[in-house]
Amino acid sequence: MSHQPPVSCIPNTGKMSKAKKVIEEAKEINNPEIDLVDKGITSLDEVPGLYQLTNITRLTLSHNKISTVPAGLANLINLEILNFANNHIEELPVSLSSLPKLRILNVSLNRLNSLPRGFGAFPVLEILDLTYNNLNEKVLPGNFFMIESLRALYLGDNDFEILPAEVGNLKNLQILSMRENDLIEVPRELGELTRLRELHLQGNRLLVLPPEIGSLDLASNKSVLRLEGNFWVTPIEDQLKLGPSHVLDYLRSETYKVLYSRHLAAKPPPPPQTLDKSKKASRARS
Amino acid sequence: MPGIATMTLDNMFCTRCGDGFESNEKIVNSNGELWHTNCFVCAQCFRVFPDGVFYEFEGRKYCERDFQVLFAPCCGKCGEFVIGRVIKAMNSNWHPNCFRCEECDLVLADAGFIKHGNRALCHACNARVKADGLQNYMCHKCHGVIDGEPLRFRGEVYHGYHFSCATCSVELDHTAREVKSRPGYAANDVNNLFCLRCHDKMGIPICGACRRPIEERIVTALGKHWHVEHFVCAKCEKPFHGQRHYERRGLAYCELHYHQLFGNMCHVCNQRVAGDVFTALNKAWCVHHFACSVCDAPLSTRSKFYECDERPACRRCYEKFPVELRRRLRRAREYTVRRN
Repeated sequence: MSHQPPVSCIPNTGKMSKAKKVIEEAKEINNPEIDLVDKGITSLDEVPGLYQLTNITRLTLSHNKISTVPAGLANLINLEILNFANNHIEELPVSLSSLPKLRILNVSLNRLNSLPRGFGAFPVLEILDLTYNNLNEKVLPGNFFMIESLRALYLGDNDFEILPAEVGNLKNLQILSMRENDLIEVPRELGELTRLRELHLQGNRLLVLPPEIGSLDLASNKSVLRLEGNFWVTPIEDQLKLGPSHVLDYLRSETYKVLYSRHLAAKPPPPPQTLDKSKKASRARS
Repeated sequence: MPGIATMTLDNMFCTRCGDGFESNEKIVNSNGELWHTNCFVCAQCFRVFPDGVFYEFEGRKYCERDFQVLFAPCCGKCGEFVIGRVIKAMNSNWHPNCFRCEECDLVLADAGFIKHGNRALCHACNARVKADGLQNYMCHKCHGVIDGEPLRFRGEVYHGYHFSCATCSVELDHTAREVKSRPGYAANDVNNLFCLRCHDKMGIPICGACRRPIEERIVTALGKHWHVEHFVCAKCEKPFHGQRHYERRGLAYCELHYHQLFGNMCHVCNQRVAGDVFTALNKAWCVHHFACSVCDAPLSTRSKFYECDERPACRRCYEKFPVELRRRLRRAREYTVRRN
């Protein structure tokens, strides 16, 4: 690091005073939506008066350096949108899941290694974005797939090898992204998500798909099905060259059902891990 | 006082009240129990037993009337109390002489009976009814048995040949249609029977769902007529009952399901987009809800944005993404461009 800037003895004051200004302005005009994007905030306790803004409905804290989320944030009971995208968060307080009106929670581009026990208790959560963290199926709390109100679940760029069968509980799910994980299998229960219109499975280690996926409405012009970058068995790979809708047609065929059950019986070893994740920003140590 | 010679007044007590007796008082003795005359009464009405007749039940004595009211079963036929032998059958109690075959009046108490559609019949009658019955209808006019389908008119069943078509006078059969109301006629003027040919010519609308004529309120929609209760949402099958419906490809939907299936539900607020719709990345947004998915900054129709997981990211956010993520996103973009 030869080009380090000269060390300042009053760190970040410029940016922190900006945060203070935003809060004061919000108080003055009673603004229910707070933007504190890229303000160099390292801790929410440094933002004076934030916890008094109990009437706000949106709090956006993207592109800061927050490493811990204080449990007291759950006092902001009117929050509908909470956005922590691109921070340094390693764990979340379970209290967030008690926010009674929270509809959208974005913790993408952070350093989450686990989720707290009981995290799935959100009463009205619709969109949960956990893209680009260090999560896998072993660190999910038991009630994670109980968030029945969920419309969209973004888990791309994580370390899942298995998508738990309980995902079938999320009856309202319309969007599921498992892009660029380490998935070696997806459960049949995915076929129960009848409202699913977007399924991102690209960049995993999948060989086969359960035939039940074929019954989902993923071929219409409003649907998205991303399958590239896997280790598909030859017939799926051949259909994928023609397009995802051809894969769905094939999954519904009797031929495939036979192939799938034979594949399950044979239990071939999972393909190797292909993505080098050591360079991921989520792996950085604070 | 005979029978109590060995007793003295000092060790004699009334069974009911437990008090002793006066030296010249009358004492009632019933099976060795002693009573004041005032205490020897019905346990229900506290009156002296008429003619000294009483009935005992669970250690208490009742006059005849109260005993019957309280404990005696009532006959299912004559309604009188059943004293003596009680026949319990068909969920009722009966005098032996009252429980009879409902066809031939035979006393069933000892002969036995068979339950036939809620009626008690003797064996012979049951066999006969079963043989000739087979659920045949009886004509309400001639009381003869109807072979095959009956003609239904004003809630009764008839042989078709008793009637003829109100228009063309042809003899009717079970296919005849009863018309209960017609536009421009009072209720008493109609309620006629028509043959199918004439009925079809009368222009009575046919429901698009059940294919039966509509004689009450008519809903006209999708170029067809419907029974009010048969005009339903193609998704949830609930009747519209006059509420607004939305048409698509010859089917009608309620507001909720129309928008859920085909409509523009805003990705952010999950409400139907009112006013201008912003469509991109297979999704719809209210114009004022279309924003960068990373920093929530509003995007306009002219803003350049990048795509990540089919959501928009503004340029400023995209440039803050980790370098290795940007590289992968770029490769994915090239892949989709190549495919299209």
